[in-house]
Parts: sequence; structure tokens; C-alpha cells
Amino acid sequence: MILLFVVNIALGSVLIPLKAIIQIILGDDSVKEAWQYIILDYRIPKALAAIMTGSGLAVAGLMMQTLFKNPLAGPFVLGISSGASLGVAFFILGGSALGLSAFVVPNGWGTILAASLGSFAVLSIVLLVASRVRDAMALLIIGLMFGSLTAAVVSILAYFSPAEELQRYMFWSFGSLGDISWDALIILSFCYFIGMILAFSVTKSLNSLLLGDHYAQTLGVSLQKSRFIILIATSILAGSLTAFVGPIAFVGLAVPHLIRQWFTASNHWTLMPACVLGGAVLMLFCDTLAQMPLFEFSLPINAITSIIGAPVVIWLLIRKKKLLF
Amino acid sequence: MIKNLFTTVFLFSFLLFNSCKNESKPEVSENQQTSKSLVEFATGFDILDHEAYKILSVSQAWPGSKKTFRYALLKEGQKLPDSIEADAILTIPITSIVVTSTTHIPALELLGVEETLKGFPNLDYISSPKTRALIKAEKIEELGQNESINTERAIDLNPDVVVSFGVEGENKSLNSLQRANIPVLYNGDWTETSPLGQAEWIKFFAALYNKEKQADSIFNSIKDNYNSLKKEALKAKKKPTVLSGAMFKDVWYLPKGESWAAQLVADANAEYLYKDTKGTGSLSLSIESVLDKAQNAEFWIAPNAFESYQSLKETNDAYTQFAAFKNKAIYSFAAAKGETGGMLYYELAPSRPDWVLEDLVTIFHPELNSNKASHFFTPLE
Repeated sequence: MILLFVVNIALGSVLIPLKAIIQIILGDDSVKEAWQYIILDYRIPKALAAIMTGSGLAVAGLMMQTLFKNPLAGPFVLGISSGASLGVAFFILGGSALGLSAFVVPNGWGTILAASLGSFAVLSIVLLVASRVRDAMALLIIGLMFGSLTAAVVSILAYFSPAEELQRYMFWSFGSLGDISWDALIILSFCYFIGMILAFSVTKSLNSLLLGDHYAQTLGVSLQKSRFIILIATSILAGSLTAFVGPIAFVGLAVPHLIRQWFTASNHWTLMPACVLGGAVLMLFCDTLAQMPLFEFSLPINAITSIIGAPVVIWLLIRKKKLLF
Repeated sequence: MIKNLFTTVFLFSFLLFNSCKNESKPEVSENQQTSKSLVEFATGFDILDHEAYKILSVSQAWPGSKKTFRYALLKEGQKLPDSIEADAILTIPITSIVVTSTTHIPALELLGVEETLKGFPNLDYISSPKTRALIKAEKIEELGQNESINTERAIDLNPDVVVSFGVEGENKSLNSLQRANIPVLYNGDWTETSPLGQAEWIKFFAALYNKEKQADSIFNSIKDNYNSLKKEALKAKKKPTVLSGAMFKDVWYLPKGESWAAQLVADANAEYLYKDTKGTGSLSLSIESVLDKAQNAEFWIAPNAFESYQSLKETNDAYTQFAAFKNKAIYSFAAAKGETGGMLYYELAPSRPDWVLEDLVTIFHPELNSNKASHFFTPLE
């Protein structure tokens, strides 16, 4: 992973020789200022964001798959990214469609705030429902319904919006790891670490849940409590990452499967750290590709994660011939 | 208890958000009497020359904008007084620039500074031959897409200033450029509603290069040309009725009565059938209402991107019902394209309303100005 981190920083749209990169990291001021800025304030935050996104989403996905006993579950199954999309849609498209005047938000934080508010709203509703409903399946379906609801509202907003706003919204939905400031990165890492700590605190419960709800209870796991923590950890991870980086598809869904096939284990004490590593590696790799080194355009990260990831999962499954879930 | 923990955590991170807010409310304490406004028609921007510094203010970066952006322009050796706050500070004259809209290109060319253009998103949109020659010589770097400029390339170019069209909300790449100490100016020329007002934005660019005198003389010649054409048009005997636009997926879009295009038609001494509609944007109408009101319009201009009668007929048979279709009185600017497919009209027309007016007067009143080569509009094939 360290190697990939270095490779990720080294490659990008502008060709910066490795020697210069080392000089910049060591604090040498003689290198061209633009290059210093690119490495220190653009590529390194981007790489760190990639590591957090990959590992955060992978761990969240693993938790969701275990909680719902469903191989198709991912971190966004609760409707978190739909809530974030709705918030951002109101912010970007709402201006002309609904005649909302643009309130002046501190420079650059508008979409982040809107996305967080959106995910938070969905999270509150999900937690409310979770306290009433015993069945995990019901939560899954409610999350899916939220997805449809928000997609419908967004399409109405989009119908009345001019082309530039639509394009901006679409570009947000493609996800983007770049252009994240150190301030934003610090806040993101704060949320990330809280989410990860919560996630690792329920590893034992996750193992027990694999055996089934009743068995887990006999092992002394409080179902309500661990469900709550799992939901909150997932929401913090998925919600904060979506707010800062946009909705990144596929990573949360596929990395747990890749890890399971690779390690052939179902013990979460093995799987969780492996997902952290695996998610980070995948994300760094995809981001390096998405930057299209030496080309002037770059591809949206969402497209790359799916294009790389999907065939890999298919290949693995065909090779192993069974799902190992 | 877990819920409380979560709430406190979230509130704490929310507080962190607020502590990072940037303060930037400019305090206007300059003496307005020592400075003269140099802008006549445009309402979206203003230049105030205070001898010791210049303030370029953009009040309409996007339609309905409530924020006025103030940019301080300082010559070599000048310093901005501490009491004045500005959204960006520039040293003029600048030596390199990045622009983001093709409407900025004609201003650069008219001022003779097109060689300072270092980068542009979507180079293929540019039609002007002079700038295309620079592109061929690889002097201008491709910067990707307008909505998400390639940040690395833009920072590597290190231009003195980036001129972007204003966006409601924010643009992540522009924020990154500002953090890298590259000033970003918002240009709201596309929000201007009067033809001469839009052309006057050449003065916006002139202020950056210290070429105000040149811009003044260029603009005055455009203004005089425009006004003399307007006077000439009044000599015409008839005032023909005019229709504009075409359908895009069941909706017919045409300019509202107070828009840039409608004003041009009025100044050409013609009767735009929708001139009584209020507003400066576009109307969205159904084919039935347009047919009802405008079937007998004598002229039809700017039918979107259609270039031939055949394509009109193939797209929708209803188009053939218009009198202008039957009498072959449709004029379009779609045929005027640059080498790589960019529309010349979108690029050049805002800066040269006198040429657009000339085309329109020639079309509507052929008895006045025959044999003038057309700049943008040609009869449909």
C-alpha cells in the first residue's frame, strides 16, 4: 500500500520528476512553486482522501453485508447517499427550480454542508425506524424506498433546471477525490476515525451475528445495541465520505467480497483489517488510473472503480465457483 | 446513551465547521467623488479609478446575484490601503491569463492580447482563426471541462489571473486555484441584457491589461456603428413580423421580450411577435401556441441549430406550416462554424452587436443595405 501511495502521488496530469517530489516532501523550497503546491496541497490530500474513502466504504460495506446477511448490501443501502444526493440537489438545482435564493455559505463548504444535512436527515429517520422495527430486512427495504423517493425528487428538480446546473450536479455525482483542502481533510479524518473506532468496537458482535440472531443473543450480544452501533458507524463513515467526496459506487459492495474470496475467512477479526487495507489499495489504484497520467483530461472516479472492480469480482467468482458468503 | 454520544460528536464537528469560516465582508470607505465610473451601458460591472488603485466590481456575476465581487487592480509599486477589502488583488498589467468562455476570446483579440492566453477548457469550442492558430502552435493548454477544470494543469500554468463565468454555489476546482494564490475573477457578461452593455465588457478585460484607452475607442466605434445602423433601419418603409427559435423535444424555446436578442430585433426596426413578454430569459411554449400566434410571421431567425429546410421538415412536420418556411424566409447562424465545430455566433456576437444588427437590418430591409456580406446569419439551405 505504501508503494501505491507513492505511485499515486508521483503520477498525475502534470509530469513532476520523482527527484523533485522527494525534495518537496523534505521541505526543499527551491523546487518550482507550482509543483510544490500540486504535491503538497493537491496530490497528498487526494491520496489521503483515497485511503480513507476506500477503507471507510469497505468496512461499512462489510458491516452492512453481515448485518443484513445479504451479499448485495453496500454502505449506501440505508439510503445515506440518496439523502446526500437530495441535499446537494436542493443546493445546486434548487436555485432556479424552486426560486430559492443562494444563501451565502462559507467559501466551498456549501455542497459538503448540504450533503451532510441530507444524510443526517435520512440517518435520523432510519434510526427512528430501527428502534421500532425488529426485523433487519425491513430496514433494508426502507433504505431502498428512500433511494427511489430521493431519485424522484431529484428528477423533478432536474427537469426545471438549466443545463449548467445539471452538469454541475452530475459532476458531483461522479465523485471526486481531488480539490479537497487540508481543512476539509482534517474534518473528514475526524469523522472517519470516529466511524472506524465504532466499527471495530462491534467486531465481536459481527462475528456472532453470522450465526444468526437467536444464536447471537445466547452468546450475550445485545441485538438492539449492536445494531444501533453498526448503523451509526456505517452512517458516519458513508455519510461523511459522501459529503466530502461524492457518492463512490462499487467499493463498499465489492471489496468485502474480494477480501472474502482472497482470504477465505469469515472471522471479522481478520476481515475488518483486511478490508481497510484492501479498500485503500483499490481506491489508490483506481484514482491513479482516473488521473490519466500525461493526458490532460481525467476520468470520473466512479466509472473507474466499477470498470476495474466488476470484472475482477466476476473473475474471482468464476474461478472459485461459489460465493463463500 | 449512544445517541447522545453521536449528537455531541456531530455538534462538535459542526462547531469545527464554523470556526473555519472566512471573513470577507468588504468595507466601502472609498471616496466616491474622486473616482469616475467608466462604464455607460453595462449594469453588471463597474470600474472605479482611484489614482492610487482601481476597483473592478462585478455586481451580477450570475442572474439574481446578491453579492458584488470587488477586485483590486494595482499597478507596479502601488499598495491597497488597509481600509479597503477586496475579493482578489491583482497586479496589472497581467502577462498571462486563463479564460473559461468563448465569449472572452473576442475581447482579448480586439485588444491584441490573445497571446497572453495560456489555457482554456474545451479548446474545440473556439472558432476564431487567430486563436486557433495559437492552439495549433500548442501555445494554449487544454484544461479539460468547464465545470471541473484540471486543477493540476491550471496550477502548473500559474496564470496571473483566471477569469471564469460566475456560478451560483461554488466550483471545487476554482476554490483550489484560489488556495494556490491564483486570483479568480468572475465575468458576468452573459447576464447582461442590452446589446451594447454586453459589448462593453471589453472594458473589463482592458482594465486588467491597462488598455482602457484602446478599449474605449474600440467600444465607441462599435457603439457609433450600432447607432447609425439603428437610425438607418428607421428609414425602412415596412416593419416585418419576426419569429425566433425552434423546438427542443416538444418545447419551443424563444427569447423573452426584454432579452438581448429581442432588443436587437427591435433595434433593427422589426416587430418581434413576443416583444411584449416580460423578462430577459427564454419562453418555453408549445408548438400549438407558437403556430397559433406566429404562423404568418414574415421572417424566422435563429431556428436553433438547424441548417436546412429538409432537416426542419424531417424533425417535425409542423414546421412546414409556417409562412416563413413556405416562403423560404428562414435565416440561421448555425452555418458559421469554426474549424473544430464551435459556433462563431456564440463566441463573437456578444462582442459585436453592431455586426448582428447589420445582418438583421440587411435581412429585414433588403432595400436599404443590399450587397453587404453577412457576418453570422445566412439563409437556410
